[in-house]
Parts: sequence; C-alpha cells; structure tokens
Amino acid sequence: MAYLDGELPTDQATEALSHLELCPECQTLVADFRGVSQELMAWEVESPEVGIPLEINTALGERLQKREAAKISSPRLENRVMTSRWVWAGALAIVCVAVGLTLTLTSRNRNEDRSTAYPSMASIEQYLMPDRNAEIAMARSAAPEAISADAKILVLGWRGYETAIEGKNGFVCMVERSWMSPFNSAEFWNPRVRVPLCFNPGAARSVLPLTIKRTEMVLAGLSKAQMIDSIKAGFDNRELQIPEPGAMCYMMSRAGYLNDALGHYVPHLMFYFPLIDKSSWGADLPDSPVTLNPQFRDGPEPITEFVIPVGKWSDGTAAPAM
Amino acid sequence: MTSDEALMMEFQGGSRAAFEELFARYRKPLYGFFGRRLNNPERAEDLVQETFLAVIRAASRYEPRALVRTYLYGIALKLLAAERRKFLTSSKSGQSAPEPKTDGTPERMLWVRQALEKLDAPEREILMLREYEQLSYSDIAELLRIPVNTVRSRLFRSRLALKSYLESEAKSNPALRASAGQPHPGRRGMQ
Repeated sequence: MAYLDGELPTDQATEALSHLELCPECQTLVADFRGVSQELMAWEVESPEVGIPLEINTALGERLQKREAAKISSPRLENRVMTSRWVWAGALAIVCVAVGLTLTLTSRNRNEDRSTAYPSMASIEQYLMPDRNAEIAMARSAAPEAISADAKILVLGWRGYETAIEGKNGFVCMVERSWMSPFNSAEFWNPRVRVPLCFNPGAARSVLPLTIKRTEMVLAGLSKAQMIDSIKAGFDNRELQIPEPGAMCYMMSRAGYLNDALGHYVPHLMFYFPLIDKSSWGADLPDSPVTLNPQFRDGPEPITEFVIPVGKWSDGTAAPAM
Repeated sequence: MTSDEALMMEFQGGSRAAFEELFARYRKPLYGFFGRRLNNPERAEDLVQETFLAVIRAASRYEPRALVRTYLYGIALKLLAAERRKFLTSSKSGQSAPEPKTDGTPERMLWVRQALEKLDAPEREILMLREYEQLSYSDIAELLRIPVNTVRSRLFRSRLALKSYLESEAKSNPALRASAGQPHPGRRGMQ
C-alpha cells in the first residue's frame, strides 16, 4: 500500500511494481484501493473566494508594527554603535569573505537547490492561471498567428484541461505544466512552469492525450509511481497510442517558462516518433541543430522526441542565438 | 518559487508579502480540511481565520524543523479538537451540533460522506489526512503522535472498510453503482 501512496523509495517501488505485474490478487487490491481514492474525490468542498479578512489584516499589522518598534527600541542595538575604524574594517573583511564564499557555494549548490526546491505538489491553484484570457493568449503565442488563430485552445481548470475556444484547422494550443517533465526531473512539481505549445493535428490526436492523462492523474492526486503504472497500462490497453506519422508541435512563445534551468529557452519545433535511435536524426552530434528531448527518455511513454531550434519567436522577432 | 518554509522565515523577519503568499497557498486547503470535518461552512471559514491568526501570534516561535504544511495542519487539528470539545459540552447542555446541509449536494458526495462516517474516528482521520490533505505517512504520524506503522496499518484497514461500505451501498442503490464506474465529470479530458 505504501507503493500506492508513493511512499516507497524508487528501488522498492520498482520491486513492488515487478511483483504487482505477476500477482493478480495484488492487482485487484490496487485497483480497488484506487477506486476508493477516486470515489473520495467526489467529496469536494467549494471554498468561498475571499481576500485576507479584516481581523487577520489587523493582527498582521499589529505584529509587524510591534516587530518594527522592538527593533528600533532594542537597547542591544542602540548600544552597539561601532565607531572604531578597525571594527568597521574587520566587519568589511568578514562580509567580503562571506560574499565570496556564498558565490562559490551558490554556483556549486545550484543544482542541489533545484532538486530539493519542489519535493511535492504545491496547491492546485498555484498551477492555475487566474486570468483565463492570459492563458488563452499564452497558448496562442506558441505558434505564428497564421496557425494559432484558428487553433482549438485548451486552458487548465480545477478538474483538467477545458476547451476555451473551438478551432477550425485541427491544431490545438495549450499551456502545459511542470508534470509534463520527466518523472525524475527535479522540477516535476515546479508551479512556475508554463509551457505554451501548439500541436499539429497528428500530435493533437496522438500526443495530446498524454498531456490530458497526466494532468488528470495529477489533479486526482495520484503518486508518480501510480502515474507511471497507469501510463504503461494505457499503452498496453491502447487507451494511449504512439505518435502518428508527422506528429509535431510548435513552441515558439517568448512568454513561456520551461523551468528554472532553461527559463524561456529559445523558440523551437518538436517532432514525435515511436521509439527510435537518436542517431537516425543525427541528434546531439557536434554542430547538429537536432537534440533529443529528455521529456520521455527513460519514461513510461514509448516516444522519442526531437527538438530543432528556430530563428524567430512566434511574433516574427529574432530569437537569441543558442 | 519560494518554498513555504522560506516564506515563513521571511514572515518572521517582518515580510507582509510572505504572509500573504502563505495565506493564498493555504486558505483553500484549510477550508477543505475544516469543511469536510465540520459540515458547517461558517465555522469552517472562522477556523481557517483562527488558524492564520495562530500563525501570526506564534510566528516568532516557529522553527523550521517541520514543513509549514505539517505545522499548519497541526494547528488546524488542535482547533478542530477544541471545536469538537465545545460541541460536546454544548450538546450535553441540550444544544445539538448542526446537521450537515444536504440540499443540492450531489448524491455521490453524500454517499462518500456517509461511508466515511461509518469508519472509526481515528481511522477516518488518518484516511482523510492522507487522501484530502495529501500528508505523508510520517507527517500524519507526527501530527497524531502515533507510530508510522500504525498509520500504515490503519490506513490499510480504513481503505478496506471503505471499499466494502461503498460496494454494499452500490449494490443496494443501482443508480450509484452506475455512476461509480464512471470517471468524474470534467475528468474525462477532451471530448
């Protein structure tokens, strides 16, 4: 059961998963318990939309005021007037050393910080965009207007993606969230991530369902292990499919935020295939503009995804060189 | 994205914005916490407010040993216990706790609520902390001051019991049985 709740370390979760595949009794139990979790989600509590109540605001104001007053009147601070030139010089030296050390440690620890910054899912509202029109505009900015103006637009709601605008040309534009990162990504739960993209019709039929499914599972509170499990099952029972020939998407928005490591990144196109060797596209070779996207690498989705940067953002302005 | 713990430290240092951010992050989850346990929206709102007031009052004593999330639910659990004690006293003196409002409540939601009410209180609390508040086993153990293994075993028992309640309900109510097999509205993704 700890496996179901995502409470097992990766090695034990893998063992549990292997056992599960061979144990029909456990499979039934897992399915039953998942059913219970799903049923429990039917009990929703609608919270009224309110700002910070007056009483809290007053208490907050009083606390902050007291704190300020304490700072000003603190005899300890009043008496600690450092007049000696030598004392100042010593303090300055300490500060310099500290700043130097901090800079060194900051760059060394940046990756570690990232890996521990988002250990679990934040509250759902942090992943939502309160301004629906802003989300529509961001989704559209993924591709040139000639494509996105007639595309179907999806926006993220409390229960999953919803159609905000029906399309005419078979393209679907949306803003993906952090849980479309690899499952082992340190930023899998980064609520700042906003990834605008426009799927072409082939990708809308074959790749978009993955985004929909992962999102549904995240919002239903499933653990990563459960999601991986369910995606594998989805491909096994053909609920999910491998990418159609020609499946691709546009990611040319300057408004996106891919993750803390890449920020806005550069405008690019992505091409989806059933698992193939990256050498067939010359990806990641010296001076090759093609890179293998790690999004699905080593993941439960049998998909290979290549990225090719392009020179302009969707609004036609020049992009920075990579 | 600033972590909850960093925000709490900033608030300790005098940042109003840090408190406002924490309030924005936790108001709705805390409302859900009280709302599900009290069936009284007005009191739920009051207790959310009291939780944040307690945070303000105790800010200087906060130490980043536990996650802010656990810290907040710890306060919420204490307030909930006090609220229940108050009801117990008032019901002894002739007043009764308000009946949960059921007007317009979807049948499935009532069904789940009734099934949960059939569980033993300690098991129900553990199950709810896990399923609705998404707390880890160790967080639940710490909050309820019980061993992690107890959390694990009670969670198992409560899920098993709930499954059997839900199944027997579904048998006696075919309409619910039909809806129980369906995904929730809006969770079906693109049509």
